[in-house]
Amino acid sequence: MSKFSLLMMQLYKSKIKSKSFILMTCLYVLVMSVAVFWSEIKELFTGDDEAQQIAIINETSADLSDIFVSNGDMAFILDEKDVSALEKKVKDGKLDAIVTINDQNGQLQAEIATFTPLKLNDQSTLSSLLQYAGQHYAVQQLSLSPEQAAQIMAAQTTISTKNLNEESAGGKSEEEKQSGLVVSYAVGILIYFFISTFLSMITTEIASEKGSRAMEMLLVSVKPATHFKAKIAGVLLLALTQMGMIAAVFLIYAKFIKDGIVWDMAADIVKELSIGYVIYAIVFLLLTVILYLIIGALFGSLVSKVEEAGQVLMPAMIITIIGFYVMLTGMGNPDTIIIKIFSYIPLTSGMIMPMRIGATDIGGIVPFLSLGILIATIVVVYLFSLSFYKRSVLTYSSGGVIQKIKTVLKVTT
Amino acid sequence: MTLQLQHVTKKYKDFTAVDDLNFTIEKGEIFGLIGQNGAGKTTTFRMILDLQETTAGTITWNGQPVNAINRDVLGYLPEERGIFPTMKVEEQLYFFGELRGMKRAELKKEIDFWIQRFELEEKRKDKAETLSKGNQQKVQLIASFIHKPEFLILDEPFSGLDPVNKDLLKDAILLLKKQGTTILFSSHQMDNVEELCDHLCLLKRGVSLFSGSLLDLKKQYGKTKLAVRTDWSTTQLLALEGVKDVRVEKEQTVLTLADESFAQSIFEQLSNGKYIEKFSLDYLSLDEIFKDKVGGNVVEV
Repeated sequence: MSKFSLLMMQLYKSKIKSKSFILMTCLYVLVMSVAVFWSEIKELFTGDDEAQQIAIINETSADLSDIFVSNGDMAFILDEKDVSALEKKVKDGKLDAIVTINDQNGQLQAEIATFTPLKLNDQSTLSSLLQYAGQHYAVQQLSLSPEQAAQIMAAQTTISTKNLNEESAGGKSEEEKQSGLVVSYAVGILIYFFISTFLSMITTEIASEKGSRAMEMLLVSVKPATHFKAKIAGVLLLALTQMGMIAAVFLIYAKFIKDGIVWDMAADIVKELSIGYVIYAIVFLLLTVILYLIIGALFGSLVSKVEEAGQVLMPAMIITIIGFYVMLTGMGNPDTIIIKIFSYIPLTSGMIMPMRIGATDIGGIVPFLSLGILIATIVVVYLFSLSFYKRSVLTYSSGGVIQKIKTVLKVTT
Repeated sequence: MTLQLQHVTKKYKDFTAVDDLNFTIEKGEIFGLIGQNGAGKTTTFRMILDLQETTAGTITWNGQPVNAINRDVLGYLPEERGIFPTMKVEEQLYFFGELRGMKRAELKKEIDFWIQRFELEEKRKDKAETLSKGNQQKVQLIASFIHKPEFLILDEPFSGLDPVNKDLLKDAILLLKKQGTTILFSSHQMDNVEELCDHLCLLKRGVSLFSGSLLDLKKQYGKTKLAVRTDWSTTQLLALEGVKDVRVEKEQTVLTLADESFAQSIFEQLSNGKYIEKFSLDYLSLDEIFKDKVGGNVVEV
């Protein structure tokens, strides 16, 4: 094995067995499992509850039995009249609520009587049912034919968009934008987590080698440039392993759980977003991780011991958090000027550009330009780091980040 | 197989760490680099190892500049103790060996030999961070020469070792020498240097005060240390011709002579033709020479 691969594999092997890596991977799988099995999990927490027993006292002449239909959450008892008997039942806990409905100037009026307040969920369901019943009642009062009544109740506006700008014709539909937004959000979160995990991993790895003074032993036999590259490659390999594991678990879930519903959903989303989007998202994810790894390695070489790693990690972490929040602002409106600006900045473009591609109508040039800036930045930062690393990795100094950089420049020029 | 430093200089912005250093180390010899803290020893090592660039001058190994040679012919024990804290002792040695281009099979023999020799058998599977400081240092030492380097640099190898381990280390250094390894080491414990070195270089604030064989250095001072057992008083002794200084120790009195040639007349006066219990004329110890040189008074060579 070459020195490069020896160093890389040593890092890879030691980290892949580390508790933090295993824990993080399990966490991703857990989050994914919760998402896939959400309905079952919800069932588990709420399924045990018996349906709420609700008595309806209808004092109007209208027939509301079509509206109050019992289901798993609520059981309606209609045609009850004896209020005092019902109230006693409520107090005894045999009944959860009594709804009294009467007419007041042609409008429905309802009163919900309970002993313990209803759960918020049930209360809002009941409210909307009552609202609907009210409309229904009002329509019935107009003495329309059943067809006419049905037409009013089922009235809905069909909305379609037409773009008069011919250049962006073939723009995305509302649905496409919506799923673009959701997927971009997920991609952004994933990039954010990957960056924070692997950025701190490479920084502390190099800082601990430097701090434990194993660095000198290593650099006698390995050129600093080789060491630098091997560390980046090792952590990148680790990141790819984790991505691979997540993808594998996802595929297993998608194909074999619930008859492939998840797979169909994913395929639908991909179809809606186009293959191009998926490729862009993956490329942005990988390149952003690489950029942060280079920066992390450089920062790790600056500190004198592992305890100081947090100090140099801070600025990079803050940038990722800024990127993350800018992305969050895009959830409401992904077309703001701040999003446009940050989608070109190399350190944040990975989180924000996929959202613009997925959820807004932009031409092909914009993402390409952003990607170009990102790649150019990586090349420049890589070349700079490579030469700076040689000088900083064996220089031990105290003070803040700026002070450390000054010391490196002072003692190596 | 020689290492040659010619006019090697390392300057930082506001001070000179090493100033015009020249010396040659022949194959198979042990060379000592002596100096106080901050004398420029570690900087010199780092320049030889191409971990730092020289400001001026050349360093060559067999006529080739050191930054062009295969690094695996070099071995280095840094002054600061450093190994991977969470790696097992044995794994650590395999890792460093493989990094130097050795096969696991060859390494096994070497590792078994050295682990046994340094009495680390029980610690083989332990994580490095659980070992005592002395044991960690032994592991690091083995790691520095596990690949049988042609040229080995040891930066303060004796610091922090107890007398038993010091002897183990001395034996190991002599064994490596026997196998043909050229060794350069630094120390501020002069007894070790005196015992092991063939040649040495004395550094003071980056400037070489002396470079050459130990015997030559001693000869410069001559045999000026005279230990006697006598009932003469200090004042009487100081009055003798050629006596520069008198120091009374527990069992003996040590005179410092201006020159070796005064010894005979002093002997005649002290013994007065009779039996004398102790009269021993010798070179100064390296320790004394070092203090003298670095202290900056008396002889300037």
